[in-house]
Amino acid sequence: MSILETRNLTKEFPGVRALSDFSFTLEKGEIHGLVGENGAGKSTLVKILAGVYTPTSGSFLLGGREMRFRSPRDAAERVGVVHQERELIPHFSGWENLFLGMEFSSLGFLRKRRMREEALRFVEKYSMNIDLDLPASELGSGRQEMLAILKVLFRDPEVVIFDEPTAPLSVKECESLFALIRDLKAKGLPILYISHHLSEVLHLADRITVLRNGRKVSTVHAKDADEQTLIRLMIERDMESQYPKRSVSAGEELFTMERASSRKGRVRDVSMHVRRGEIVGFAGLVGAGRTELAKAVFCGSRFEEGRMTLAGKPFSSRGPGESIRKGIAMIPENRREEGVVADMTVGENLVLPLLKQLASLGFLRSRQCDLHANSVVDKLAIKISGLSQEARTLSGGNQQKVSVGKWFGTPSDLWIFDEPTQGIDVDAKREVYTIMGDLAERGAGVWFISSDLRELLAIADRIYVMKDFRIAGEFLPPFDDEEILGSMMGEGLRNVAG
Amino acid sequence: MSQGKFQMQKMLTRYGTILALIVLCAGFSFAVPGFLAGENGMNILRQIALLAVISEGFTMCLIVGELDLAFPHIASLSGALVAGLIFGGMAPLPAVLLSLATGLLFGFFSGLLVTKIGIPSLITTLATGIIAGGMVYMYTRGVSFYGQMPPSFLALGRGMVGPVPSLIFIMFVVVAVAQVFISKTRTGKYMQATGANQAASRLAGINTDRCKILALSLSGLAAAFTGILLTSRLGSANPEGASGFMMDAFASALLGMTVLSVGRANPFGTFIGALMIGVINNGMTLAGAPYYTQDIVKGLIILLSVTMTSLQAKRMAGN
Repeated sequence: MSILETRNLTKEFPGVRALSDFSFTLEKGEIHGLVGENGAGKSTLVKILAGVYTPTSGSFLLGGREMRFRSPRDAAERVGVVHQERELIPHFSGWENLFLGMEFSSLGFLRKRRMREEALRFVEKYSMNIDLDLPASELGSGRQEMLAILKVLFRDPEVVIFDEPTAPLSVKECESLFALIRDLKAKGLPILYISHHLSEVLHLADRITVLRNGRKVSTVHAKDADEQTLIRLMIERDMESQYPKRSVSAGEELFTMERASSRKGRVRDVSMHVRRGEIVGFAGLVGAGRTELAKAVFCGSRFEEGRMTLAGKPFSSRGPGESIRKGIAMIPENRREEGVVADMTVGENLVLPLLKQLASLGFLRSRQCDLHANSVVDKLAIKISGLSQEARTLSGGNQQKVSVGKWFGTPSDLWIFDEPTQGIDVDAKREVYTIMGDLAERGAGVWFISSDLRELLAIADRIYVMKDFRIAGEFLPPFDDEEILGSMMGEGLRNVAG
Repeated sequence: MSQGKFQMQKMLTRYGTILALIVLCAGFSFAVPGFLAGENGMNILRQIALLAVISEGFTMCLIVGELDLAFPHIASLSGALVAGLIFGGMAPLPAVLLSLATGLLFGFFSGLLVTKIGIPSLITTLATGIIAGGMVYMYTRGVSFYGQMPPSFLALGRGMVGPVPSLIFIMFVVVAVAQVFISKTRTGKYMQATGANQAASRLAGINTDRCKILALSLSGLAAAFTGILLTSRLGSANPEGASGFMMDAFASALLGMTVLSVGRANPFGTFIGALMIGVINNGMTLAGAPYYTQDIVKGLIILLSVTMTSLQAKRMAGN
């Protein structure tokens, strides 16, 4: 009997179709796995089911009746979501968190004793060892996760969605989580389980649905599938034309890093290098330390050990200013916050790193500024109504071009692109690849961080895989995607088979 | 061993400020004989009564994660209004109620702007505060109101409740009500949750907008009440009467954030903060220190307490 059913669910954002025509069913007492790469549409689906987004078209049925949630609150009693970031109030006790938003009170005064007793009775059912009187912040990570789950279950939902629940957990904590999930299944609760860890999903789920590019690729029975099948379904290649690849022969060493470790453990024993004319890809799961490594170099973190060279000379930096002067450009992940100054105009953004050259005696020479800005706009084909258009009003793709274009005119040799294609449309992505190719052709080195494995496979000349702030592997073409994925997940394909 | 050390640390963070207060009192008692004797003790409590009441209102704002810069001006406005109405012939009770309503309305209006329009509270209350400040001058034409006031009104600020001066009595009632409201009622819990994690609170079905409007309204109400008490105590009203409360109220609430729980505003803590401010002011005056040194000492003590809080928070984040 299907408890939850979606029919042609579609969600569009300006310029992006995050989910198209998604239909599936969730049966009573079923654990249903949902897998796909970043941006495949998993979180969009969760947000629709949780009442955060309203679908552009399509519908979903719960217990046979069509649902239209107006707000997350509306949804919370029907569809319980265990979010990646736990929704707890740190200084509230365990039972206060359980009751958040549904407290017992009389005449406005909290019935603390009754609530506490009720909470204890409820938790007993799950035979879990949690001290409900401690503030949530004093519980360990695993207990916090359990508390967040209990908080969801306490609302007695008809369906429970787990969104990457094991990310912060140790192996042992994972096992008790899986036991709990199986327990829920035995009670007949349907469960949607989302995870990057394919082995986990295969181990737990009855059926698995694979998403790619916002579409359902297929739903398979877990007992008929293995990791290879799933991976193949997740990253099926499409049109070569989407990935214009310039062939440039690599030149001399541009940047090298030897056994570097940073003080705060955000870089651990990393050795890597980038040559001129090369596009070096950095693959890894979210939180593997790719952005941290790039920022450590660009922002001049203190390194405890290790040596770096840039263009043959020893390299060290005390901050972005010095790194820029020495020839590093960084296009950060958070385009809106760090890539452009959203409230300033396109013209102002494009000359920001060059103000020193474009001023005399401290006064800006506005004609030179505009001249330079216009040349960049032409070179990158940025679509704007004029230089005075505010950066915030641009589309994602054009904003990204401004974020790249502001480095034109600086002495940059090493270009760090952190997730440059995230949230921009297909055409803009192609243009970003072209820009990277052009830079490589002109003798620059490109350091390309991406969570979209397909684009890395297509665009990069060499790929480093990072895991736990270390380099977990280095791969040369022809790339073997399964091997790279395996390396991303690590031997850490957590040992759950037992 | 390490367990004991941990407990010690926990005690210090919870009660460190209270300990500092005791040390401070001991120090002043040593320098000024009779510092804590009955009469001066009462003096200190009376001196901080108004500060404590107005600071409790501000504390409500901090609890929901907002700021209020308008409260001193609202206090001045209500203080002048109540005097003007009484001199104009109105009976004390309706005059007081009308002045309270004015303060409440100011806070409510700020709350609407903050939640429904989305203007940051810092800016909203800066503006509403300036408006209230302008209105006092419009109402008073810039002069103080003097005259004969009915004894029933003057009793509010000058009378006694049994052996206790009425101001001290009122202060204790306000502090107790605020503390019970925040820790024992559903609405108080919601206000705490709103300040701690707005997104999670909203997802849990809490009306966070309502909590914020309530907090700003209560701040306006507490400010108006303080203004009225001030007028009653002085028997006159001055258009700038309450402007001096701004810094001391901030200081009390910030010091209060180091009491009982680290980094969270709470009504009882704010009372301890106000007490600390009172002890410093009174003690240094009696010890013959020039008044400007009091400000320097207060500033340093605030920095010290906030430093402790920040270090503690950092260490907790590190764990």
